Amino acid sequence: MRRKGWIGITLLALWAVCGFDPVWAGVPTEKVKETTDKILAIVSDPALKDPAKEAQRRECIRKAVDELCDWEEMSRRSMGRHWAQRSEQEKKEFVRLFGQLLERTYIDKVESYSGEKVNYLGERVDGDYAEVEVKIVTKKNTEILVLYKLRARDQKWWVYDMVIEGVSLVNNYRTQFTDILAKSSFEGLMKKLREKTAE
Amino acid sequence: MKRTCLAALIVILCFVSLEATSSGQSTATYAPENLVGAHRVELAPIQVASLKEASAEEEEAEPIGSLGETVPDPLEPLNRVFFEFNDRLYFWVLKPVATGYKTVVPEEVRVCTRNFFHNLAFPVRFVNNLFQGKFFGAFEETCGFLVNSVIGLGGLADIATAVDLKRHEEDMGQTLAVHGAGPAFYINWPFLGPSTLRDTIGTAGDIFLDPLTYLGDYWYAPYSRGLNVVNETSLRIGDYESLKKAALDPYVALRDAYYQNRLSKIKE
Repeated sequence: MRRKGWIGITLLALWAVCGFDPVWAGVPTEKVKETTDKILAIVSDPALKDPAKEAQRRECIRKAVDELCDWEEMSRRSMGRHWAQRSEQEKKEFVRLFGQLLERTYIDKVESYSGEKVNYLGERVDGDYAEVEVKIVTKKNTEILVLYKLRARDQKWWVYDMVIEGVSLVNNYRTQFTDILAKSSFEGLMKKLREKTAE
Repeated sequence: MKRTCLAALIVILCFVSLEATSSGQSTATYAPENLVGAHRVELAPIQVASLKEASAEEEEAEPIGSLGETVPDPLEPLNRVFFEFNDRLYFWVLKPVATGYKTVVPEEVRVCTRNFFHNLAFPVRFVNNLFQGKFFGAFEETCGFLVNSVIGLGGLADIATAVDLKRHEEDMGQTLAVHGAGPAFYINWPFLGPSTLRDTIGTAGDIFLDPLTYLGDYWYAPYSRGLNVVNETSLRIGDYESLKKAALDPYVALRDAYYQNRLSKIKE
């Protein structure tokens, strides 16, 4: 009887050590869920529903998304092998513009949400990399599968790609960027990005 | 007689709910134990590969390399012309018509219409599941079809999804791919939109499996197809607009999205 008690205490101690120490980055699903919940709360907040409060609502969503997405990593991956050829200045400008475009696209998308259900299907962690699989069920009886790809940086998990119904955002932009860079130049690409974000 | 029918119905229902619970993919809210469900195990091989790829890239000087597969597009100049044509067709004709339809027909009815057409196209999915050797998929589709047709009033209500019967959207383009056919090249058809040579052949094959093709009078098929398109568009207004708004080159963005989506469907 006594032995069993000791085993229990040892297990409890082990659990405490494991539970508090190595999980510094938190579970990736938690991270995605936290932001998603925050955004869904903003979108369905009756106090922010008023069209006059659109700017305020968008700003709230923007803050939440900035906590989730690693714009620099997204830029780097979307540029692929062209990234290394750019100067620090150019990279900075690119991240700023591309980040703006992605942010806007994301906000436009979630702003139209109402009454969608989000189911968390599973997660995989492989060192600094993780994937979180999510299913969004809309009111119109459609299911959208979203795979969040995350990377740990500065003791936090950050999203660097979203794969929606098999379409990777990063891959989609990379195909476009490669095409534009092949037909014109980096300057041409930046010009297009500037026009796009100014729209 | 009536009693036998009722009993049969109950048996089907019981089976369906059993099936739903045993399929392992619970739609319950987030719980840690869901994460280690059967679904995850099933996905594991693909995921491991993709994660490894990501870390391998990381070690090299070139961060991304050739991760994304692209579709050959030798007809690009012509395809771009058709893209412009479809773009105008959408904004000048299809969208106004669908918007008008949307204001007259309530969303519930439009969702039911969508369900009806989806249920009707069951033979396409069934045959292609079989052709790909996905016997469980064919079986689950059959259950879904029966449940929706009988309890869902001829397919108007999607009971199958409600009781967690999974959809297995297989078409002949995917069947051809599973048996080794490559996409050949990209085609952006006028009216029909993005496809590849393989998927075009597949779509032509699927038409023969689609009950709409055999619907009585010569005129029914075009009318019902037209209704399906307008109805579907009315439920998707804004999707194409947001793709265009987010893209630096909408033609390339659509081509890539189509191709990536097809690749993931083939892999399933």
